[in-house]
Amino acid sequence: MRIKLLFLGMFAIMTQTLAQSGYSSHSQLSTRLKALPAKSKLASVNSIGKSSGGKDIWAVTLSGGDHSKNKAVLIVAGADGRHPAGTEMAAKLAERLVSLPADSLTGLLQNKTIYIIPGLNPDALEQVSAQLKYERSGNAAARDDDRDGKTDEDPFEDLNGDGLITRLRIEDPTGNYVISKDDARVLVKADAAKGENGRYLLITEGTDNDKDGRFNEDGAGGVNIDKNFTYNYPMFEKEAGEYQASEPETRAFLDFLYKNTNIHTVFHFGLSNNLSEATRFDRANASKRIISGLQEKDAEVTDRVSKMYGKAGITDAPVLPQTPGNLTQTAYYHAGRFSYSTPGWWIPKAKDQKGGAPAKKPEAGNAEAEYLKWADAKGVNSFVPWTRVEHTDFPGKSVEVGGLMPYALNNPPVQFLDSAVIRHQAFFTDYLKAMPRTEIVNTKVESLGNGVSRVSVTVVNKGLLPTYPEIGERVRFVYKVSCKIKLSEGQTLISGKLNNYRGALDAGESEEYSWLISGKGKVTVEGGSPTSGISNLELTLK
Amino acid sequence: MKKILILLISLTAFHVKAQKTDIAAEDLNGIRAIGSPANPKVKVYWNKYSDHAEIHRISSDLAKAYPDLVKLQSIGKSVEGRDIWLMSITDFKTGEADRKPGFYIDGNIHANELQGTEVALYTAWYLAENFHTVDFIRELLRDKVFYIAPTISPDSREYFIKQANNPNSSRTGRMPMDDDGDGLIDEDLLDDLDGDGNIVMMRRKSPTGRYKVDCDNPQRMVLAKADEPGEYEMLGYEGIDNDGDGRVNEDAVGTYDPNRDWGWNWQPDYIQRGALYYPGMLPETKAVKKFILEHPNIAGAQSYHNYGGMFLRGPGAADDEKYYSRADVQVYDYIGKLGEKMVPGYNYFVIHKDLYTVFGGEIDWLALGKGIFTFSNELMTSYKLFNQKSSEGRFQNTEFEDFDKLLLFGDGYVKWKPFKHPQFGDIEIGGPKKNYIRNHPGFLLMEDSHRNMAFTILHAHQMPKLEVVETRKKDLGGGLTEITATVMNRRIIPTHSAHDVRYKIERPDYISLKGASVLAGMIVENEDFGVTKEQKMQPEKIAVENIPGMGFVKVRWIVKGKTDTASVEVDSAKGGLVSQKLQ
Repeated sequence: MRIKLLFLGMFAIMTQTLAQSGYSSHSQLSTRLKALPAKSKLASVNSIGKSSGGKDIWAVTLSGGDHSKNKAVLIVAGADGRHPAGTEMAAKLAERLVSLPADSLTGLLQNKTIYIIPGLNPDALEQVSAQLKYERSGNAAARDDDRDGKTDEDPFEDLNGDGLITRLRIEDPTGNYVISKDDARVLVKADAAKGENGRYLLITEGTDNDKDGRFNEDGAGGVNIDKNFTYNYPMFEKEAGEYQASEPETRAFLDFLYKNTNIHTVFHFGLSNNLSEATRFDRANASKRIISGLQEKDAEVTDRVSKMYGKAGITDAPVLPQTPGNLTQTAYYHAGRFSYSTPGWWIPKAKDQKGGAPAKKPEAGNAEAEYLKWADAKGVNSFVPWTRVEHTDFPGKSVEVGGLMPYALNNPPVQFLDSAVIRHQAFFTDYLKAMPRTEIVNTKVESLGNGVSRVSVTVVNKGLLPTYPEIGERVRFVYKVSCKIKLSEGQTLISGKLNNYRGALDAGESEEYSWLISGKGKVTVEGGSPTSGISNLELTLK
Repeated sequence: MKKILILLISLTAFHVKAQKTDIAAEDLNGIRAIGSPANPKVKVYWNKYSDHAEIHRISSDLAKAYPDLVKLQSIGKSVEGRDIWLMSITDFKTGEADRKPGFYIDGNIHANELQGTEVALYTAWYLAENFHTVDFIRELLRDKVFYIAPTISPDSREYFIKQANNPNSSRTGRMPMDDDGDGLIDEDLLDDLDGDGNIVMMRRKSPTGRYKVDCDNPQRMVLAKADEPGEYEMLGYEGIDNDGDGRVNEDAVGTYDPNRDWGWNWQPDYIQRGALYYPGMLPETKAVKKFILEHPNIAGAQSYHNYGGMFLRGPGAADDEKYYSRADVQVYDYIGKLGEKMVPGYNYFVIHKDLYTVFGGEIDWLALGKGIFTFSNELMTSYKLFNQKSSEGRFQNTEFEDFDKLLLFGDGYVKWKPFKHPQFGDIEIGGPKKNYIRNHPGFLLMEDSHRNMAFTILHAHQMPKLEVVETRKKDLGGGLTEITATVMNRRIIPTHSAHDVRYKIERPDYISLKGASVLAGMIVENEDFGVTKEQKMQPEKIAVENIPGMGFVKVRWIVKGKTDTASVEVDSAKGGLVSQKLQ
């Protein structure tokens, strides 16, 4: 018993020393994902491409039947390497889904496919288990980040030998930072409006190897995939890459998205949020030549989905705006799919104690202080206390190493993700139920005599969401709602078109089609769209 | 002394003799027409278009005939597996080829725009065949390197040449696509109804038609007047509804645009028709991008198109106008305005202002993505038909019809003829042949190739030429010497465009002092008033952000000890390598 307690105690200490403990590296993730098909015959795992460092990018497919024939949602994570929590949540979700009782998984996946790409940036993910930990966002592409003609010449240095890259604070008359009033461990920018004068310089841990006056500005870690997508691309920005979609990871994802024309919605566990609070419709932005606002109908749908998200018990999400060149906006504006992002996990809002004095809240925007308050309460030690070091670039100055551990802010110890995963699973279950469902109804064959028949059908969307977003109407690679008739030998079409195409069908919307056909025998009618399901039926003309 | 003189004379004589052996006898007498080799080693007819085999024949013959001037390589394969050929042309015996300022030329990205390939091939041929006879070319190839890819759409070029097409078809590449979203790929192509290799127009006599035959020119169809009945309806290009969906020719192979597949301000298909999923989806554009990225010495570029007679510069979109600073525009203006004199009938234009908006085009990526001074010539203009600008618009004037009648004797058009169409019934087919209108008639092709080549050589010649024009030593006492070097750029193109400097596209130029112990180094901003800016790190290797066109930079070092073996070395990505012993 005593041994058990001791063991537990040790475990507790371990989890407390490394904030990011429990995160899978890319190779560990690969092992976890490859184990999925053994748990359910509805699961398969494939590589959709290789990273710039030559690592496989895995896609898990969960589908009842032929995955490409079913309407689908795509869940993706880890585009920005600073967010292993997203990867962990996506992987946990896949693990939970395959562990469902066989009949409930089959029910969930009836005519539907879930694709999950948990780690879109494997090179960056590998960093969570590296000897030296720093928040690496980029892939393995060798980039001259500061464009000085030298590649990766000014990386971080672990000055205090703790295996973590934190920060340096230097007492210096030119410093812009002061000690936060909320938390003495945290530095905040001096606010002249409040009569504050800066006291510290605050930089990342390391030395100025190339003596250009900038610290650690060009280390290993090339392109942040969540900055390399095609929409609103930040050309010439650090970590954005050579040009739009220059990176193999970006291309692998876009190829997968565009070629799987059945993908209706993309969910991204990432460092932006348009899910908890829907983006508002803005007519001016929506009608520009280069469209930069949600289309009107899409804004309305997005609002509904946002409410669905709240109903699943997912609340208090932080405001995290969309960033240039990111996956989520590209999937909507360029690929024409519904596209949502959420960090998935965040610090729960501090609840006021009943009857007691209201809890003292850190000043809004002081994310570090808020985080530390939560971490202290949970016993998560994710702070390296400031300690003095000698630093050759600052001779004779007070230089201290310390600060939040890398990854800490957005990536809690993995066990804290569990409840978020459960809630998101509930949300995805609701979402799958709401997906569009095109059906052929009210079928009629009327004989007009002399071997002429009129065939009429109605294509209706019985789901709660449109067949595809309004923006999809413009996108060449989003296949439109169609209703087609195939005739047999000896039949001729007197009126009507063989192939009819139309725009998206909203929830409950329908359209009737009819044909005049001369001749007897079988005809086949096919209706729907890849994102809402395509159904077939055979009729006989007498 | 005498001996030395004799030796010198004999050396010179030998030199002249050696040179003479490289010049064909015909080039030294009156057979030679000025400007053209009289007996070139590689024989080419310049009044026809080259298919893929002929492109390879000319390129590899040049490489074989001039191994010290022309090297041929494949930079990648097309969708259908054809090689994308590229010739590197320089004086390989002098200097390191890929460190000289490089000029990139391609043609025919739009495969129906054939003659870009011919101008590119002509340029390669001309440079090699005139190296020994024209001093200017010899110097040009000593200083610079040309990278010439005659076609970067080899599949569609072959398809345009060998299969039935119209002047505007086969602009796309050959990657199969489902254009109409019916899940079938390439199921409704153009159809050459009469099997003559040309896709022309279909017309049908109809009481409801709004067109009539132009009475002055029976080849031409014109709209009837507003209050006048017409005789014909126009049914589009030759074709059949192959898939029975009620539409004709709606799903051709490809139908994307390789010139919307580049990584600068790329926009999706609904904004920029012809774009794919993202820039760089095609193996052809990928191969070119890879080559450009591997050759940071490329300082100038030309991409030949047709038609309209234009020297186009970027930007392709109005919102990129902000990236064109005055200094960069002045360089373009110099070349573009001289061009208008060199190629009569051609105009110097800005794409988005004078043509139309293009997002994701090749020349924007070259100019703004990579900071390369780039022009795109739209070859062929109706000005060339009668050496004058028509006062009327294209659809009112009859220049092409008149030219066909007077100079081509009717070779330009398929005359209207009856045809039994399986769906339209009795129709007539006729119209311009695929190689008329956009592509030059044979006898105009060589002249325009030469003029456009000359324009591009003007452009290439103005790429940076760096020279250490002065080095000065001053004894500072105490064993210290001050060395000042002035590096000049003898051409108008800077080593970095202003845009490049602003966004740090290319690394800085380095001016180094070698073979001396450097204590301090600095850029001299104003020598007369002693304004300098010290470089604290690596003072022996001064980084300068740019060496301006027709301008200079001055750098200074403080050196300890001996300086007699010291030399100044200039290392510029786009300006080349130059070194100069200290005087």
